[in-house]
Amino acid sequence: MNNFLQVLVVGIGDGAVYAMLGLGLVVIYRSTGLLNFAQGELAMFSTFITWTIWEVGVPLPLAVLGGMVGGFLVGALLHQVAVRPLGDPHLRPLATVIVTIGLFLAVNGAAQLIWGTLDKDFPKLFGEGQITLGGVAIAWQKIGAVLVLALMVLGFWFLFQRTKIGLAMRAVASNSESSALVGVPVPRLLMLGWGLAAAVGTVAGVFTAPGLGLGSNLMQLTLIFGFAAITLGGFDSPLGAVVGGMVVGIMTSVLPQYLPIFSKMRLAPAFLLILLVLLFRPQGLFGRKQVERV
Amino acid sequence: MSTSAHDRTARERWVRGGIWLAVAVVLLVLPTQFPEFRVEQFCSWMALAVAACGLNVLTGYNGQISVGHGALYGVGAYTTAILITKAGWPMLAAAVAAAVVCFVVGVVIGLPALRIKGLYLALVTLAVATLFPLVIEQFPGLTGGSNGLAITSPRLYRGVVRDKPIVFEPAFGLAGDQWKYYLFLAATVVCFLLARNLVHSRMGRSLVAIRDNETAAEVSGVPVATVKILTFGISSALAGVGGAIFALNNARVNPSSFTIVVSIYLLVAVVTGGAASIVGPAIGAVLFGVFTDVVSPSLPARYQPATPVILGVLLIVLMLTAPGGIVGIAQSLRTRATARRLRSSSEGTTGPATAA
Amino acid sequence: MSLLSVRGLRAGYGLVEVLFGIDLEVDEGELVVVLGSNGAGKTTTLRAVSGMIEAQGEILFDGQRMNGKRPDQFLAAGIAHVPQGRGTITDLTVEENLRIGAWTRKDGEVAADIDRWYETFPRLGERREQLAGSMSGGEQQMLAIARAFMSRPRLLLLDEPSLGLAPLVTAEVVDRLRSVTAETGAAVLLVEQNADLALGFAGRAYVLEAGTIALSGAAADLKGDEQVRRAYLGF
Ligand SMILES: Nc1ncnc2c1ncn2[C@@H]1O[C@H](COP(=O)(O)OP(=O)(O)O)[C@@H](O)[C@H]1O
Ligand SMILES: [Mg+2]
Repeated sequence: MNNFLQVLVVGIGDGAVYAMLGLGLVVIYRSTGLLNFAQGELAMFSTFITWTIWEVGVPLPLAVLGGMVGGFLVGALLHQVAVRPLGDPHLRPLATVIVTIGLFLAVNGAAQLIWGTLDKDFPKLFGEGQITLGGVAIAWQKIGAVLVLALMVLGFWFLFQRTKIGLAMRAVASNSESSALVGVPVPRLLMLGWGLAAAVGTVAGVFTAPGLGLGSNLMQLTLIFGFAAITLGGFDSPLGAVVGGMVVGIMTSVLPQYLPIFSKMRLAPAFLLILLVLLFRPQGLFGRKQVERV
Repeated sequence: MSTSAHDRTARERWVRGGIWLAVAVVLLVLPTQFPEFRVEQFCSWMALAVAACGLNVLTGYNGQISVGHGALYGVGAYTTAILITKAGWPMLAAAVAAAVVCFVVGVVIGLPALRIKGLYLALVTLAVATLFPLVIEQFPGLTGGSNGLAITSPRLYRGVVRDKPIVFEPAFGLAGDQWKYYLFLAATVVCFLLARNLVHSRMGRSLVAIRDNETAAEVSGVPVATVKILTFGISSALAGVGGAIFALNNARVNPSSFTIVVSIYLLVAVVTGGAASIVGPAIGAVLFGVFTDVVSPSLPARYQPATPVILGVLLIVLMLTAPGGIVGIAQSLRTRATARRLRSSSEGTTGPATAA
Repeated sequence: MSLLSVRGLRAGYGLVEVLFGIDLEVDEGELVVVLGSNGAGKTTTLRAVSGMIEAQGEILFDGQRMNGKRPDQFLAAGIAHVPQGRGTITDLTVEENLRIGAWTRKDGEVAADIDRWYETFPRLGERREQLAGSMSGGEQQMLAIARAFMSRPRLLLLDEPSLGLAPLVTAEVVDRLRSVTAETGAAVLLVEQNADLALGFAGRAYVLEAGTIALSGAAADLKGDEQVRRAYLGF
């Protein structure tokens, strides 16, 4: 039983990170209607920015904020130069995939150019410590991930439900033409969405890097977990990203306990989840828009 | 007027013939002019070209987006390697088996792809591509795990049977690498001709009709599901042949040769060369090969990651400005030139007419 | 001088030309209708006049040349557009739709204005927190009109409000619209296929055929015109 709880705790911690990346993917999907295959690479890039700031002696929490700002700028810029000229992603799916794949390559290579190909040690935002509750050890880092995720959800809720900009972002996501008609500057809001998604991704990268080592392939697996999370939760649902992230985190952590085949292939259940949900419930648990399939 | 138009198409045919002849001569002479390591690189470009040709049939002509063809390429390579090494099959039989296995795998992937489309199919195939090397590492007994698998065949050596890495022996007065090159070239040409015939057939027209408007195709009697599944199978089989060439060329396979990056590079080859044109992927593969095998190694190690940056930027710029890739650019240049020639010649003909 | 003055308006989509030189005038507070059958170019005309698509020719609003300006600049100048199919933002609530309608405003009277439209359209007031997408067509059309008025326009462009509505509901919408314009003094450029309805509402009318103005005049005259009767009124 304790063992199960232990695994569960690990899963929740991982799930929080998947949810963070998923939240970014949802923000982009809602506003621009595309699946951003470069989201993981953007997160990796801004994690490197964080590392650079930390390396010169800035405390890690401040460095993370710096990385988020850097990520925001990079995301916003890439939207302006590469994504915005594309038009509606669902009218040109191939071009959209190719552009995000192009961003994937370019950002990955750029990180190697700037920071070299040697993996970097990355510190834990909440330190190495842990507490023991009823025989279950919980690392502060895991607790921290859940807390940060909660903060992020709160932040998003406030932005979308309580601010004029957030209202406009939701309006653009729902009907960009009508939003333009009431004077909302649609392209600028889409850019904002990309920037926010990249900023959120930074945090996901910061939580992933200590375990894996910071290299240019940092987020390639996490990206698939993040996609699994939002596929399950519903591509356009922030709540879905959180619930989906938790389910995927717990599933990939608990399943190998009973099915050892998955212990080194934690990606496999996530993949099966993506496949099954898209086949049988393409809108996911909380999604509203019908994902095209007929 | 009509005769001169006729002359022009005749001339165009001559020009085309000339270009193809030149290409053929270059392809045939190439291995005699370069050292062995280069010839082996050319072989690996052919592997990529064949796989890209397969991806193009699916994505370019049929509109089903796969970001996972690197995995099928890998299935082809591993099938070849395992059949030769573990089951003692001859190389050619193993390569054919790789195509068949990939066809079947493709059909199996094609089934869910009937319901999962566009961006979502891209997502699923991306996950397949990411998963593939991890699966390979799970079965070290068969695949050699993360160490990879040297492709060997049993040889009798002074009365003892030993596993020796496969090699292409010198034959017909050709060095081993040259012989290998011509063999792969023949296979490559066959694959591209097959793809060309497919695309120009009735089924080929169905492929494009489905891509352009699935509902309309369905209404006008195209058996959409069958065609799409078959296309997935054929496309995968071609990717498998590419993988077989890759495996035979390197005489070993590694999971790290079939990561998500390979799937991306296949897309790069298709898109830069020109999606929905037969020669496009070949041009793209060569361009890609020149980049990674010639340009990139000549850079200082520090700057070698510039290659993916350049390729990524190239991909984006092409998509935004010339979605038809290099072939598309060439075509639009040619139509513009033709239009200019027609305009100047019609001025020439109306000039005297009004004077008379 | 008229409020809106359009001269030689040409517009289209890519290589396809739709409008071939249109002249239109709308005076301050005037109710004008553009009639035309499906595909005549009515929607395209309105899209050009609200800056949604590029157009050649001259668009003067309040004496100011509007060509080449962004949609939000048209809006700031005082032109609001209710698109064909109403264009309510279905994932937002009624109240949020009204608030987004005031996006360009910087004054502090937005809340007071919202309350005012709830009085004018009581059915909206009863449904403040309801998602716009879950309302009936008539309610959505009223919401679209109220939202457009949130920007305090001097000219409202209204594209086929009767589309998909039952005649009784349409009558109610038009009725409300008439009282709103009387109250605010805004001019309306209405686009319709339903000539009977439109000619009863407007003072002046244009008939658009295949991208050119075929006829124009006082609504009462056009109502009596043989040609118009046959083509648009069906009796
Ligand atoms: N987005 C578009 N792209 C291309 N053609 C369009 C577009 N919208 C309308 N058209 C064409 O322009 C013409 C006029 O359309 P529209 O202005 O919508 O007519 P109306 O509103 O009078 O029915 C039609 O022939 C229509 O096919
Ligand atoms: Mg219309």
